[in-house]
Amino acid sequence: MSQSPAKPGELAPHRIPVEALALGLASGSAATAPGHDAPLLAGLWSPVRREHWTMKWLSTVDHKQIGMLYLVTALGFFVIGGVEALLIRLQLAGPNLHLLQPDTYNVVFTMHGTTMIFLVAMPALFGLANYVVPLQIGARDMAFPRLNAFSFWLVPFGGLLLHFSFLTGGAPAVGWFAYAPLSETPYTSSSSVDYWALALLVLGIGSVGTSINLIATVLTQRAPNLTLRRLPLFTWMMFVDSFLVIFAIPVLNAALVMLLIDRQLNTHFFLPPGGGTPLLWQHIFWAFGHPEVYIVALPAFGILSEIIPVFARKPIFGYEFVAGSTVAIAFLSLLVWAHHMFTVGLGHAVDLFFVAASMLIAVPTGVKVLAWSATLVGGRIRFDVPMLFCLAALVQFLLAGLTGVSLASAALDWQTKNSYFLVAHFHFVFVGLIVFAILGAVHYWFPKMSGRMLCERLGKWTFWLMTLGFNLTFIIQHFLGLAGMPRRVFTYADLPGWGWMNMVSTVGAFLMGVASLLFVWNLGRSLLRGRVAGDNPWRAWTLEWACPSPPPPENFTSLPPIHSRRPLWDDAHPDQPDPVVGTHGALDTYVPERNQTAIIAFIFSESAFFGVLILTYLYYNATPPAGPSAHDLNVLKTGLFSLGLIASSFTLWLAEKNLTRGRLGSMRFWLAATVALGAVFLFGQASEYATLFQSGVGVSSNLFATTFFTLTGFHGLHVAVGLIALMVMLGLALAGDFKSAHPPALKAVGYYWHFVDVVWIVVFSAVYVLPRLR
Amino acid sequence: MPATSPALTYFGAVLKVFDPHSPQARAIFHLGIETSVVLAMIFALVAGLILYALMRFRWREGEPEPRQLAGNRTIELIWTAIPCVIVAGLFALTARTMTVSDPPPAPAPDLIVTGHQWWWEARYPKTGVVAANEIHIPVGRALSVRLESNDVLHEFWVPQLARKIATVPGHPNHIWIEADHPGTYLGICSEFCGTEHAWMHFLIVAQTPADYAAWESAQLRTARLPQTALALQGHALFLQMSCASCHAVNGTAAHAQVGPDLTHFASRRQLGAGIVANTPANLRRWLADPQQVKPGVKMPNFKFTDEQLAQFVAYLGTLR
Amino acid sequence: MTTAEFIRSGWSWGGATLPIAAAALLAYLVLYRGTRRWPWFAAALGVVVLTLTSPLNALADGYLFSAHMVQHILLLLVAPALLLLALPRTVSLALRPRWLGRPWVGWIAGVGTMWLWHAPSLCNAAVTSRPIHALQTCSLLLLGTMFWRQTLAPREAERLSPPVAVAYLGGACLACSVLGIVLTFSPVTVCSIYAAPVVDRLGLGSLVDSRWGLSPQRDQQIGGLLMWVPMCLIYLGAILAQVARWFAEAPRPSGVEI
Repeated sequence: MSQSPAKPGELAPHRIPVEALALGLASGSAATAPGHDAPLLAGLWSPVRREHWTMKWLSTVDHKQIGMLYLVTALGFFVIGGVEALLIRLQLAGPNLHLLQPDTYNVVFTMHGTTMIFLVAMPALFGLANYVVPLQIGARDMAFPRLNAFSFWLVPFGGLLLHFSFLTGGAPAVGWFAYAPLSETPYTSSSSVDYWALALLVLGIGSVGTSINLIATVLTQRAPNLTLRRLPLFTWMMFVDSFLVIFAIPVLNAALVMLLIDRQLNTHFFLPPGGGTPLLWQHIFWAFGHPEVYIVALPAFGILSEIIPVFARKPIFGYEFVAGSTVAIAFLSLLVWAHHMFTVGLGHAVDLFFVAASMLIAVPTGVKVLAWSATLVGGRIRFDVPMLFCLAALVQFLLAGLTGVSLASAALDWQTKNSYFLVAHFHFVFVGLIVFAILGAVHYWFPKMSGRMLCERLGKWTFWLMTLGFNLTFIIQHFLGLAGMPRRVFTYADLPGWGWMNMVSTVGAFLMGVASLLFVWNLGRSLLRGRVAGDNPWRAWTLEWACPSPPPPENFTSLPPIHSRRPLWDDAHPDQPDPVVGTHGALDTYVPERNQTAIIAFIFSESAFFGVLILTYLYYNATPPAGPSAHDLNVLKTGLFSLGLIASSFTLWLAEKNLTRGRLGSMRFWLAATVALGAVFLFGQASEYATLFQSGVGVSSNLFATTFFTLTGFHGLHVAVGLIALMVMLGLALAGDFKSAHPPALKAVGYYWHFVDVVWIVVFSAVYVLPRLR
Repeated sequence: MPATSPALTYFGAVLKVFDPHSPQARAIFHLGIETSVVLAMIFALVAGLILYALMRFRWREGEPEPRQLAGNRTIELIWTAIPCVIVAGLFALTARTMTVSDPPPAPAPDLIVTGHQWWWEARYPKTGVVAANEIHIPVGRALSVRLESNDVLHEFWVPQLARKIATVPGHPNHIWIEADHPGTYLGICSEFCGTEHAWMHFLIVAQTPADYAAWESAQLRTARLPQTALALQGHALFLQMSCASCHAVNGTAAHAQVGPDLTHFASRRQLGAGIVANTPANLRRWLADPQQVKPGVKMPNFKFTDEQLAQFVAYLGTLR
Repeated sequence: MTTAEFIRSGWSWGGATLPIAAAALLAYLVLYRGTRRWPWFAAALGVVVLTLTSPLNALADGYLFSAHMVQHILLLLVAPALLLLALPRTVSLALRPRWLGRPWVGWIAGVGTMWLWHAPSLCNAAVTSRPIHALQTCSLLLLGTMFWRQTLAPREAERLSPPVAVAYLGGACLACSVLGIVLTFSPVTVCSIYAAPVVDRLGLGSLVDSRWGLSPQRDQQIGGLLMWVPMCLIYLGAILAQVARWFAEAPRPSGVEI
């Protein structure tokens, strides 16, 4: 190791103390002993002082502990999802087996998919991000530590909610994407789907919270010289990924909400008898679902982009192209969803456009694969366990990407979709890339998290068993698909070869199970008896390796000079530093205010939610339906109340202006006026509803009523929440707060309130004005 | 069944996607081969590069850090441009294959297939034939098929003959079905549709024009009154019990279309949408308790007595 | 007539387009003589001339909604971008009054004009009325230029910084995608004039409908898809150009510690 670790309390001579780290955050983090007295276990267990360690972990807002909580939770659910996978493979080991009843099998594969995506992959990756991103940017914690903790606890809660369905009449058996009409009440009457939808809503809120936090963190918490163009690629990819999350999850939320309304309130969003169409569910779900696969893939790409260069001992080949291709992938992933619907009959024109976009997305993805491969060329490759996992992930993802291109061709998809060929493809992505990347990442960052190394020998056994097991399980499934075996079948006929191929797959799955057990054993053993790691066991170059292992609560007492993307390389090789990058752009040094950043991100995500509801409204009301219609609405009255709402934006603006001028009395007055006008608007909405109810128009009367009440109802909910926030502001103002002239809180609430008004203008135009223009 | 060339097999299983027996499936098959070749070459190239690098650039004891090459713009542009060209080529091939393998439908369909939980209804509107789970077609003539669903999403897939296509309630779809040679082709449902999604098989039986004509006229005959006493009792029982509330038999008072049409039940090779072969023994097991044979099926267990079972089996055996 | 015949005969050389283009070329060569950027201008003019005189124009004139959409994309996105790239790097595009030069004004200009011209009454009017059609063409070119000015202004100082430009372009892509989605999946005809051309001036009716198989529903679908996927790809290309520009900024000479 070329840099000597600083003794606790001392600064190495070339290091610069960084004042900007005193950001005054992170209250309530783990007990802060000066330096670290029990160096090996300090990060995990503090000596029992005022609080028991369980309470400390339950109440922590420290990003490192929250990150580890995410990873442990993900591991727990991985065991559950893994057992479900083994049950599936046992049932399919031979033809016509009766290990599981058909309905039980259908529950098992639904829960397996849902668990692995929402309770394993996403928590694990966001947990890693939680731990690593603040360290990589030289920050003390995430921008919003309490939001961070809240977002985490939604994961076990959501998981509990999902699994609670086992106790209330059965867990869902509709597949992880719950296509309508099967997921609707006439075909699934138990509350299983309701629990599924609610659990996903809960988990989704957590994901959006974490992503808003990550965006705010990367934009506002970076160490002073760590400009945006010097970001490590894992942080960069998590940053871009967060934008995908805040856009895609609300789209799912809209779909889930509509499904719940269908199931609970007897409406027909997705049921033909009432005028709905099952295709709308597919469109909305996949508009979420395809970005979702990139949401879990981008962090894996980030992991590979960190680990492969370190163990090849040279920088990533073409940083700008890897970073740029990430942006391309993020945008393109929003344009390709209908490739999940090639067989549904959208028409060749629609199909072809999505063939083009889906094939195009292979180009930036290929750029990445080639970048990782080229990084190896000319290196000095070390085959430590993290590298082994990432190399396997690279080759397996290469195959997955290529089978993906074949699936992007609609004509080929017409044969391979919904068969085991597709199952093989997406498992090569989810397991071959993502799980392998996570395993590599854990082996890579475990020393930082715990201060100890994982056992190399056990790690290699895990790797080889996992790789062998994985490929044995899934390569043969490509051929099963080509032989005509569909997915989601609890058994199959005794056709020649099918039994043998399935048996091979089952054997592979059990090998993966053994590898997983070895991995867990390695984790436990190394926590207790692993070799001491030191600050930078891998001789890596990014900032997380510039602090002790495990890091103290405040992460850094000092930072090395940062002029390039690899500060620790520059530190260790002053004679051949990296070229200086990312210096004179205006945005490199601009630090936005974190509350405003967060609220703008939140507004963006809510726009996606309302966008789906508005488009659904327009679609179902393009031709006036039979029964109640927009002509039964009172334009004049609602228009008047709308003016009230718009006026409230104006009064709020006045309140903000008065605050900046220090005129607190006027500010309180205008704030109260805003609340009053908002309440008037809600009253107007309520009276519109009352009129409709009195004339017998309810949410289930027809699709107009359904879409009307859903759209205006959710808008009204947003107004109500805004009113609560405004009243809190008013309360604080009356209590004498707001002494300083530029409080970010009021500005943030202001942005939200103006957004709610803009949404209403759009809704009013679409619902009340548009029909009268025809 | 006679085939033009031996089918590709793996582990003894016929790879049906690579075993086309119709012009439509053949178009897709050719695209599949062309695409596989291109993709395999890319895999070999890149995986080869990786393997080469892993072997050639291993770390050896005592060696210094390597040259810190950060990238090469020319290489980046080349390996962005070449995939674009490949993608453009694959796109063009795909567009052409889509047109060839999936032409627009005829103005009026020759066959209307409706997906039910968990069986396939087939009606030939131009002739009036009604069938279930076993669809006969004449060799060498393409039939325009309209596909609908009675309940949830299903998917009609017979890999050796055509693309798969979903049946969506409220949104009719169309494909063309054609076979080069006589033979029996297995089809399945490939969109998860509930408990017994795994047992929603159908058969496409391609026959020579003469055989097909014979089948068609046989299917158009109404059911005649059975001759044996046992079968007559079964016939009476059929109309007396609630069978007629779900099943139709042409020539009797039973006209319901909830379950499969049974007019020519005995002419079919399989029972329960492929779960068992259509033999008297299996039929007896089915009638004794359908839930035992196909758990979750919509036909309840009527708890018939042994005597009733014998009568039913005899009667249904006459519905040829 | 057949497709080949149509491609040969469907050109409209009369009208104001060629004279105006010639005048523009003259003006450019006089104003910016000696500039090496003239190929961009030639390309911009080429796009405009082809859009307005080729068989595409004939199709867009009441026959095919999707052809009209191609025209829109070329006139709003392609030609103005090429035009801006043709200006020498020293030309200043500062606008008076100042607020015209604000980013949100440019954004609303570019996005709003696309939405506005697809309001059913305006869409139909642009086909039936010559003056409104001319207005449409001019507004697309002008407002498209205002849109692109934010990211392609010749002077570095008048451009948005790359990350902001990415948000600007990404937002425009999303906004146009929404319109594209509406047009693709709308159960009703938006631009009714294309569903039943009043006068089959060129005798193309049967060619379009039966030979090419483009029913009004499919035509509108394709139009919506064009606004959705290809248009977004153009924005994406611009976004990637911004990202490239961002990463390519040369490092300052040492001595300035940032």
